[in-house]
Amino acid sequence: MSAVLEVSKLSKSFGGISAVDDVSFEVREGEILGIIGPNGSGKSTLFNCILGQLQPSSGEVRIDGRSIRGMRPCDLNRLGVSRTFQLLQVFPQLSVRENLILAGQEHQGSMWSRLLGPRDAGLTPAADRMIAFFRLAPVADEKAGGLSYGQQKLLDAAMAFMAGPRLVLLDEPAGGVNPTMLADLRERLRTINAEEKATFVVIEHNMEFVMSLCTRILVLAEGRIIAQGAPEAVRRNSKVIEAYFGN
Amino acid sequence: MTDLIQLLVAGLATGAIYALVAVGFTLLWQTSQTINFAQGEFVMVPAFFVLAAMKFGGLSFPVAILVGIAASVLILGAVFKRLLVDPMIRHGVLPLVISTIALALFLKEGVKEFYGAEAQSFPALWTTTHVTIAGAVVSLQNLVIIGVAVVTIAVLQWFLGRTRTGRCMQATAQNPALARILGIRVERMILYTFLINAALVALASLLISPIYLAKFSNGETLGIVAFIAAIVGGFNQVRGAIVGGLLLGVIDNLVAAYLSTQYRGAIPLFLLIAVILFRPQGLLGRAEERSV
Amino acid sequence: MSALGNSVRGIVAVAACAVLIAAPFGLKPYGIYLLSMWAVMTIAAIGLNLTLGYAGQISLAQASFVGIGAYTAAILTTHGWPFAAAFFLAAALCLAVGWLLGYPALRVQHHYLAFVTLAFTTLVFLVLRNEEWLTKGIYGISNIPRPAVFGWSTQAPRDFYFFCLGVLAVVSFAMWRLVRSPWGRAFMALRENPMRASSLGVDTRRYTLMAFAIGSSLGGLAGALYAPLVQFIEPTAFALGLSLNLLLMVIVGGSGFFFGPFLGALVSVLLPEWLRFTEGFYLIIYAAMVMVLMVYCPAGLLGLAERLLKPAAEDRSVLTQSDKDPGA
Repeated sequence: MSAVLEVSKLSKSFGGISAVDDVSFEVREGEILGIIGPNGSGKSTLFNCILGQLQPSSGEVRIDGRSIRGMRPCDLNRLGVSRTFQLLQVFPQLSVRENLILAGQEHQGSMWSRLLGPRDAGLTPAADRMIAFFRLAPVADEKAGGLSYGQQKLLDAAMAFMAGPRLVLLDEPAGGVNPTMLADLRERLRTINAEEKATFVVIEHNMEFVMSLCTRILVLAEGRIIAQGAPEAVRRNSKVIEAYFGN
Repeated sequence: MTDLIQLLVAGLATGAIYALVAVGFTLLWQTSQTINFAQGEFVMVPAFFVLAAMKFGGLSFPVAILVGIAASVLILGAVFKRLLVDPMIRHGVLPLVISTIALALFLKEGVKEFYGAEAQSFPALWTTTHVTIAGAVVSLQNLVIIGVAVVTIAVLQWFLGRTRTGRCMQATAQNPALARILGIRVERMILYTFLINAALVALASLLISPIYLAKFSNGETLGIVAFIAAIVGGFNQVRGAIVGGLLLGVIDNLVAAYLSTQYRGAIPLFLLIAVILFRPQGLLGRAEERSV
Repeated sequence: MSALGNSVRGIVAVAACAVLIAAPFGLKPYGIYLLSMWAVMTIAAIGLNLTLGYAGQISLAQASFVGIGAYTAAILTTHGWPFAAAFFLAAALCLAVGWLLGYPALRVQHHYLAFVTLAFTTLVFLVLRNEEWLTKGIYGISNIPRPAVFGWSTQAPRDFYFFCLGVLAVVSFAMWRLVRSPWGRAFMALRENPMRASSLGVDTRRYTLMAFAIGSSLGGLAGALYAPLVQFIEPTAFALGLSLNLLLMVIVGGSGFFFGPFLGALVSVLLPEWLRFTEGFYLIIYAAMVMVLMVYCPAGLLGLAERLLKPAAEDRSVLTQSDKDPGA
């Protein structure tokens, strides 16, 4: 299995402050990698570098062997990378189904077909499948802005999967979601991972969620990797405990 | 050579006036993200306040000037902020831009209807004599203008850099949220910038009206020059506005003298386009960090 | 939208169409001229609404595209070219110029685009004024002929009005299809949340460029109709003032609403006539009304109507989050 995502010697500094320092890791197809670390450890900066939102100061990011230097987020999306957001970013004025169609429409056809073709770009069946999978059927035609927070989180995740991505980056998917819904979300993510062979990278603060979802964990502190491995091993690693709780 | 000196002085004089207007414009943008499309009209109106005070109030010129400045600071500063800017600032930049466009129209047509459409002569603050410098005959008026502008900018810079209030205003411009947390009364600081802008445009009006006469349509050209000066200099820097204004004034005068082309007016526009496309932070600015 | 809202919309639409078709039979030539002007300005405003209301770009260049279109039509038709050729050439030329202008210009931030387009408009005005060999400069081009459409002469005011109305109908239909297509969805996304749209694969640069180019092309189309309507054109009609006027039309009507331009153009063209009794004051009153409207309802007249017709207050710009800890 080749690496879907390859990060080599990635560094990013802002002025004199080094947010990410010489980070290297790989993610293989089908893996669910969790990235954890105390606040300020550089997780979000790392994410933004992988997603093309920030240009790294040095180092390389490769998706399926291709360097993504200089690519804009929309180019990356077309390569098969998608993401969810920490602060929800669904389109409140569009219905749930419309949001999903939007998420998928740029991945097929051309500008011309999108101009002259059908209104839904032929995506209604795919959108309906996603709605069924994430159990959003009762609100499928409602405006996304009227949904509850948990439902919007599910929609956000569904939108990330509409385009059948290779790599999905989830930014704090468990934030603000109640325990029952959390179990549901975890189960949905596991299923998609198994069925579609989608690869995930998850940033999370919720330890329990991350440990139960991920196949491998990476721990960042002060911009550097201090541990990686299976969840149980990481949990017991003394350096990790020190990073979170001090001596 | 003497011609050049004469042109340079004249250019610096007009440039100094542009600089005053551009500085006010930049201050408004920095502290409250207000793009004042009526800035040109703001320079046109104070002269008419003075003229009206003399014509309808029978006041003498010196007293009328005080009345004019006071009216400007009150109406173009405080009232403008309270009635137009405050309600709209939370709706984003565009509604405010539209409102200032409408305000420009309102002021222009208002002056035209209530005062008159013909150009009015405006008394100078000093006698129009000439002085000889390095063999060149230079208008005293130009020197006075440069002098007044220099003093004003110097006072403003001192105020912004060395007084407590001034530094609070700078803090508000750089990071309003943080300023608020630090206990700075952000609303009041923003009000001060509006008042300062009103004072600056009033001064510019008093300086420029004797030369170009007071006419309701003056706002258009003055406004565009203010925008160009501010952007070319560097939109988020007061220093940039000064440099931009002076540069435009000098270029304007030199081009008028040496290049007889109908496309005179195009040169500042090309400069504007070039700066925006290739160096959006302006000649002096740093890359804009304020964007979200 | 509520059932009441829908039926109100339906009634208004039908009534409006009826009025548009019947009105010229009861009006004097000047009234018909005003209606034709409304139709032409609406086309230009529809173009600007696409650029501004749907794609979120502040353009002050629409007047220059109307000017380019008008002069293209005027120069060609006064030299014997058939109107159809001039018409489509005007649209195509403005599409190309819009695209060329937008390519570099759209890479800058929004408020800078306003200034770039402002400079562009002034430059185009200078060209129109100075290049007398082509445009006859300040003397203008007169005796612009009205076309014969499929053999039917549009010389008479009423006939030309119906021609303009026909073009407006076609443009409106095309815009309706555009807005309802996946492109329309992409436009809405990049206006509401460009970062999110980009992360979903929406090529924001390409879509804004297309919106800008199409909007400019519609400006050119409006210009090509404007020339035979007024039959005499000169450069000052296409200066910054018209750009600002069109901008006001779009915003006052309601930026981003489909019928915004129709309403905005109506206000802009008709209000001076209704306020004629106030003599010089109508512009002052217009300006004051715009400021008041912006303070109370920046979403324009249609935004105001929406607010009144919708019982459940759902602000267009606010994301509603009912609760953080949900039940499904």
